[in-house]
Amino acid sequence: MAHIPDGVLSAPVLIGGAVLAVAGLAVGLRRMDEADIPKTAILAAVFFVASLVAVPVGPSSIHLLLSGLMGLVLGTRAIPAVFVGLLLQAVLFGFGGLTSLGVDVVDIAFPGVILGLVARPWLSRVGGLGKVAIGGGVAALAVAGTAACVAAALALSSADYLPSLRIVAITFVPLALAEATITGFVVSYLARVKPEVLGLALPSEGAP
Amino acid sequence: MTRSIAARRRGVRIAMAALAVFGFAGAAQAHRLKMFATVEAGEISGYAFFIGGGRPEGVDFVIKDAAGAEVFRGKTDERGTFRWRPTSPADYTVTVDAGDGHWIEGSIAADRLGAVATKAMTTTAASTSAATSAAAPAPVPTAACPAPVDPAAIAAIVEARVDASVARQLRPFIEAYDQAEGRVRLNDVMGGVGMIVGLAGAGLWATSRRRREGEG
Repeated sequence: MAHIPDGVLSAPVLIGGAVLAVAGLAVGLRRMDEADIPKTAILAAVFFVASLVAVPVGPSSIHLLLSGLMGLVLGTRAIPAVFVGLLLQAVLFGFGGLTSLGVDVVDIAFPGVILGLVARPWLSRVGGLGKVAIGGGVAALAVAGTAACVAAALALSSADYLPSLRIVAITFVPLALAEATITGFVVSYLARVKPEVLGLALPSEGAP
Repeated sequence: MTRSIAARRRGVRIAMAALAVFGFAGAAQAHRLKMFATVEAGEISGYAFFIGGGRPEGVDFVIKDAAGAEVFRGKTDERGTFRWRPTSPADYTVTVDAGDGHWIEGSIAADRLGAVATKAMTTTAASTSAATSAAAPAPVPTAACPAPVDPAAIAAIVEARVDASVARQLRPFIEAYDQAEGRVRLNDVMGGVGMIVGLAGAGLWATSRRRREGEG
């Protein structure tokens, strides 16, 4: 869904996407300091691998994006992570394209980053189940945001490419559910074993 | 305190490694629309498929000629296949649009349609069901009357039969090639992960240099 190939989008959409992606990359890289590099690289590698695995669903096939998780853990640093993952997928496997890389980065990374930045302060105010709910909600909404961005990019390029709503709905609902489940569990796990990754305070000595 | 944090960090690292390995186990599959198209008995047929499984069913396919003009538009059937019989040999492109932003274009060159199209024209009298069946005996009416031997007619019959048989035999190979071409290979996945590790290393080196220069 999210890997738009070369030769499909119109020039203004491609340029707009590239400008937004470069701006996002600049912000993400400026925020990156030494301590952030390993976790950014790990999540970039997880994104790179996870979004290669596709599962056939109905008339289409879906794959994980994990943009909600990246947005929660990395904030704006998710943009360089997604950029590297997509660049490698385009070069090694021909998924997506090089000219559409900017648009694809915006489609996948931006919804997760925005939702992650909005939701992160709330993580420290809720209990275990609340964290699962926040993680799941951010992931599902990030998938919805990606679907909306892809549809907008296609519709702005040509009315012929307007994705069929029926197929988007069939593929988007299971993907949102899968992402919500995975992200919910990962967020609650990280909150217990490595809370500083989510911007939470370390538990005091002796706490479980 | 420090020990417990170190142990926790190790736990996270093991979990991440497990996640990565789990990812690789399924990484033989991937997400991209590909197409298999062939010509059998003058008919363009084939299907689009997602690498990793699944064919877009009940979605639009469009046939365009060399000039880019649309000559036919149809829907793929419940097995995801499309078929269309051209009236004359020409370069055609087939586009399958899965309807969710995935589509794929394939081309059929005129010379793959050449001989069979002449056959199709000579068999207008024959029933179409006989003409579409590749295994049917040559439905060309001239084959039944051997008396006036017309070399051109015989050549046309032979060419059409050979084309049909070669197309039938080659079909599994073309199909297997199209399937294999898009497969994600573990080597490439590992190469990509290695690239990310290398980038992280380069980033760490650059930031540590910057900090040391700032201190010095």
